Amino acid sequence: MRTFRLFLALALLCVVAVSGRAETKKKGVLNLFCWSEYVPQEVIDGFTRQTGIKVNVENYASNEEMLSKLLESEGKYDLIQPSEYTIEALIKANKLEQLHLENIPNIKNLDPTYTSLPHDPENKYSVPWMAGSVGIVVNTAKVKTPVTSYKEVFSGAHKKRIVILNDAREIVSWALSSLDLPINEITPASLAKAKPVLAQWLPQVRVYDSDSPKTALLNGNVDVGIVWSGEAAILYAKNKKFQYALPAEGAHRFIDSLAIPKGAPNQENAEKFINFILIPEVSVKISNAFPYTNPNAEARKLLTKAQLANPASYPPGDPKLETFRDIGKISADIDKLVTDLKNASGD
Amino acid sequence: MLKCPDDEPSRRRPGWLGWALMAPMLLWLIAFVVAPTLILVVYSFCQRDELGQVVYRFSWENYRRIFFDSDRGRLGTVYLDVFLRSAIYAALTTGICIVVGYPVAWFIGRAREGRRNLLLTLVMIPFLTSFLIRTYAWMTILSEDGILNGFLEYTRLISEPFQMLYTPGAVVLGLAYNYLPFLILPVYGSVEKLDPALVEAALDLGANPWRVFQKVIIPLTMPGILAGIVLVFIPAVGMYAVAQLMGGGVDPTIGEVIQNQFFSARDRPFGAALGITLMLMFALVFWIGARRGMTKLE
Repeated sequence: MRTFRLFLALALLCVVAVSGRAETKKKGVLNLFCWSEYVPQEVIDGFTRQTGIKVNVENYASNEEMLSKLLESEGKYDLIQPSEYTIEALIKANKLEQLHLENIPNIKNLDPTYTSLPHDPENKYSVPWMAGSVGIVVNTAKVKTPVTSYKEVFSGAHKKRIVILNDAREIVSWALSSLDLPINEITPASLAKAKPVLAQWLPQVRVYDSDSPKTALLNGNVDVGIVWSGEAAILYAKNKKFQYALPAEGAHRFIDSLAIPKGAPNQENAEKFINFILIPEVSVKISNAFPYTNPNAEARKLLTKAQLANPASYPPGDPKLETFRDIGKISADIDKLVTDLKNASGD
Repeated sequence: MLKCPDDEPSRRRPGWLGWALMAPMLLWLIAFVVAPTLILVVYSFCQRDELGQVVYRFSWENYRRIFFDSDRGRLGTVYLDVFLRSAIYAALTTGICIVVGYPVAWFIGRAREGRRNLLLTLVMIPFLTSFLIRTYAWMTILSEDGILNGFLEYTRLISEPFQMLYTPGAVVLGLAYNYLPFLILPVYGSVEKLDPALVEAALDLGANPWRVFQKVIIPLTMPGILAGIVLVFIPAVGMYAVAQLMGGGVDPTIGEVIQNQFFSARDRPFGAALGITLMLMFALVFWIGARRGMTKLE
């Protein structure tokens, strides 16, 4: 009797599991695979209220994590949120569905600066979600001279008072910018030129941290940082002494976009979601929760003065910004170079 | 003493009940140790494509990259240096744990029965808090605006903040703090079993305390010490969270480098090769140690 009941329970479980799978095929579901801390719950609830579509959310912490999960389970996710160089790699590998732009009329709200970029030149595959940059944060209570370029960060005056992102590609791109070399066409020759610059820079670094570089700045362990603009915006909002500046040599602009992976089961719903977040009033809610640069021109008109005045979200002037392109296998050489130099500067 | 061959445990073969009782453990080992290791071995001989997916084409390249530096054309690479650094950190950690932990274990093992449990609970209490929270707590203590620097400045022992966090010393401190109980517990086990009469006998026969410690106590608690060393050294080599959080990622350790291969570098085959190499190094050291132990016993 006991075993029979157990068997019954197991059978029931299987039925539930199968019907659960079947449900995702029905019209009312959207499987969203997005960054953690990037899509406000308010926006998801609003979408469900308006369309009746249930949203299943799964999060990731890096493009690389997203890629590996996406490629292992085709047909599981309807909408993903990769950064520009990852989009380019996915397009090259033919892993994205083309968008039906007639279903996304609100795309007209976007600022043209953020569309038709090299990673998706005809806007066929992706719609920008939020943008940001990588720039310099200075604790002006400790550092009195202005620091607005990579060269000034690593002039030697801030030796062992610096936090930088723990990201080999970012670090190498700064050295390349300071040498006026292209950051997206990386060759063994350009790496060889970057090497002596980095050999001089990296021994001055106190902390490498990509996840929460603001911590070292807040605790007073370092005075200068090269960090994500979102982190800088949070620091500035906490205390105005943390000033953000984009490096004079040029900086990396990252753009995270929404895209539909190949074979997504609910492509129509995914397009509905894209159209929904492009509504200015909805887009503002995203900006309120996560102070990155909003690419939606109509939404920006609705932001408060204080939001627009945060230099980390909306850097003043006309800075030199460039997005990353997919660089393929040379990333292994970049990783080796940085590991090598970190190792040499240690001990 | 006469030995009855049937009584020797190694001669007894497990019956079906024995196998049934072992089955969960065996399944566990196959699913979570054997299978993942085999996957790693396969990966380590593969290559990666542009997207970072594993391409199943046989190649020695990953292992060559670990041992041979093609830029300089010689044996010995940055990765071997990183292995060495991690081993040094782990060895220092183990050393500190022995020096600090042995007296504690001895004291607990010799304490009154009732107090023993209380003391053991005290050793275990830190485990009730999450490992990450304990590590962040250390960061708050050691940081420039932190409690320790504040106290030292207040008492005028130092005039300006002393850099403690994000140094190799901080990494070793964090490791030693986290792994100390893993040394205390096995040593305590040996100390508790040690017959006090043997110590008394040695003293009666004229040995001075140092000699007793050297010739009686250490050999008798050796199994506990060895178990403790294994339990501290091996996890300490691979631990990357402490090195990342308290060392600031400045001096790369092998755990960090491997983690990096699986995430930002998107090179799983190379990460797998590093992991397998680390495992083989452990196996080799273990094997040599076991062989020397055997010859000593004989």
